[in-house]
Amino acid sequence: MRTGHYKETYGELIALSDSGVAWAWVAALAAALVLLPLLVGNYTLSLAVSVLIAIVGAIGLNLLTGTTGLISIGQSGFLAIGAYTNALLATDYGWPVWASLPAAGVLSGAISLLVGIPSLRLKGLYLAITTLAFSFIVNYVILYAEPLTHGPNGVFLNDTTFLGLDLSSDRGLYYFVLGVAVLVTLAALNLLRSRIGRAWLAIRDHDIAARAMGIDLVRYKLLAFAVSSFFVGIAGGLMSLQIRFINIDVFGFLLSIEALAIIILGGFGSIAGTILGAVFLTLLPEAIRIVLSLFVDPQAPAYTKYIYEIRGIAYGIVIVVFLRFKPDGLIGLWRDVRKYFANWPLAY
Amino acid sequence: MKKTLRMTLLAVGAALMLPAMAAAEPGVSDTEIRIGDVNILTGPASFIGQAVSVGSKVAAAEINAAGGINGRKIVMKTEDDGYVPSRSFQALKKLLEVDDIFALNGTSGTANVLAMMPLITKANLPTVVTTAPNELVYNPVRPSVFTIGASYEASFYAQLKYIHEKLAPKGAVYGLIRQDDDFGVAVEKGYERAIKEFGLKDGIRLRYKKGQADFAAEAVQMKAAGVQVLANGAIIAQAATVLKETRKLGMDLQVADVWSEIMPPSAKLLAPAGYSYLIGDYIAAMADPAAVKWMEKFKPYMTEADIAAVNRYTFITYAGLKIMAKAMEACGKDLTRACTVENLRKIKNFDTQGLTAPVSFDNERQLGGTAIKVYQINLADQSFKALTDYQEY
Repeated sequence: MRTGHYKETYGELIALSDSGVAWAWVAALAAALVLLPLLVGNYTLSLAVSVLIAIVGAIGLNLLTGTTGLISIGQSGFLAIGAYTNALLATDYGWPVWASLPAAGVLSGAISLLVGIPSLRLKGLYLAITTLAFSFIVNYVILYAEPLTHGPNGVFLNDTTFLGLDLSSDRGLYYFVLGVAVLVTLAALNLLRSRIGRAWLAIRDHDIAARAMGIDLVRYKLLAFAVSSFFVGIAGGLMSLQIRFINIDVFGFLLSIEALAIIILGGFGSIAGTILGAVFLTLLPEAIRIVLSLFVDPQAPAYTKYIYEIRGIAYGIVIVVFLRFKPDGLIGLWRDVRKYFANWPLAY
Repeated sequence: MKKTLRMTLLAVGAALMLPAMAAAEPGVSDTEIRIGDVNILTGPASFIGQAVSVGSKVAAAEINAAGGINGRKIVMKTEDDGYVPSRSFQALKKLLEVDDIFALNGTSGTANVLAMMPLITKANLPTVVTTAPNELVYNPVRPSVFTIGASYEASFYAQLKYIHEKLAPKGAVYGLIRQDDDFGVAVEKGYERAIKEFGLKDGIRLRYKKGQADFAAEAVQMKAAGVQVLANGAIIAQAATVLKETRKLGMDLQVADVWSEIMPPSAKLLAPAGYSYLIGDYIAAMADPAAVKWMEKFKPYMTEADIAAVNRYTFITYAGLKIMAKAMEACGKDLTRACTVENLRKIKNFDTQGLTAPVSFDNERQLGGTAIKVYQINLADQSFKALTDYQEY
């Protein structure tokens, strides 16, 4: 059993993982994800796509809020920018998805700099309200710039392909979104172990001290906004590919809150936690539905009338109870489990 | 010889495959037909979804009690979307993939049905849209989608026409307040049409953001513009707030309202402002003889909670499933989606017993039941009296 770490080079120090066992598990997970479409139906695959999109968006938010400490509740605005950019470029201008999706991220990242500028002076709840106001502005612009955005009518996406994958099919979309999610995860992990990631962490812990150490706050805060919004914009673009119809109602305020819930529940600042949080929160309603159907007759009149409210209440209760007993989130729970087995039989 | 052998093999193969294909039709077994319903069952608009579910439930119970569709019982499969389009998409995905539905009767709001449209089109899913008769739904036409109901445009045009001809003083100033979304656009189209056709004085047009709670500024603007006839495109609580504010300013108005304001909870909110407002609706009001007869007939099929949930959406969804049943029945034992769609296209003058005007889908938009009745509220008991019969506008 491994009991400690001994590093001889800087390369070893910043490696994603120095554990062969960890890499073996990653390989097993990768194989399972690749084989998933062969083992499950289209509905499960569609849920998997939703989970992967949530992972991409939540990783973006986590870099801004979890890593840099800049609270944003305007994520629905950036998702909308990404979704509309991808949908409009693909539908009205005939761009292929390999061009329209990165453009969705780039435009979202570029616009985020407008919100980033107030962040140089604002913190905490003040910044949060600024980002919320921004998401309202995005809604207004989309509704009123009708010649460009189709206004309240929304946009339908045509069937599209990428390297021979039919993205209107569940399987094709799954592989495409899986690829994007893997790239985003690797990019985020690499950013966090670079100078940029360490600068973001320093800003989160104490921005004045970070500046005293020579970190350019303007540059790194704006960079955090741009990178985070790039990923969130990509997530928005992926949403448009999944639903294939978007209008402003798709990007309600609740989405921003759900994104925050994912990173809090998963574990602030951790990429692995964000992934666990996205899986947990996206699948929780489905899990509650299955569990309830095991214990109650689905045809009972009282049940059918109130079931949807019961599910909503159960969703809230699970989150509250979880955070009460596991404030470190799912990643904290995972660390506890790992420590238990690492120290076994001396675990307590 | 070789060619003949190949043809024979192909024919035998096709003959062997036919029963398998028929049996494989999604959502149909020897004993049942599963019909989906995606609706708003949670959140502030859940009263709509609950009413819709009661309509489907009653129609299914009536059809099943009469022996079903060629011996097959109808089983309803309902999913909640909370009025969120992305959840509508997931809900229909589940109904298609897990519950294996054959057709859809219950499609939530306009944005919601549009979010489901790619799935509906791909599966050639026979769909009757009863709660979102928006032009975006039927234009362009999707082959398997059939819509019942008039547009908001026609509803407002009908009311303004009535007000212009019967209620408003000559030279009255007209004003509009509407939401800044697809629904508001449709309301403004009806207003625009009336203004142009009757040469009315267009005093002011105001837009507001969905969710706005205070309309004091808008009321002041309307008063300043001298508005005497108001096309009130706000909905439920917002519509009530608009009228409360205009009443505060002592404005004497003729008011045209959205058809959601015919429902008892809405009427209760709007009535205190004291305006005898109009409604243009393609569905019978609760006090209409057709609706009263329906309630009497179907009380035994409903629980107390169901009865409390009944409103206009119940009647229209009931009519929707009855029409779908007629189309399925015409297919005989070999029920397929393609056949149902074909028969829905042939629906002509389907009698909904006065719940709507007779419904026909044999037109290029696959749109029926578009005739409108204009109603007026009786402030004393908050019931609605029909001022016109069903008319096309």
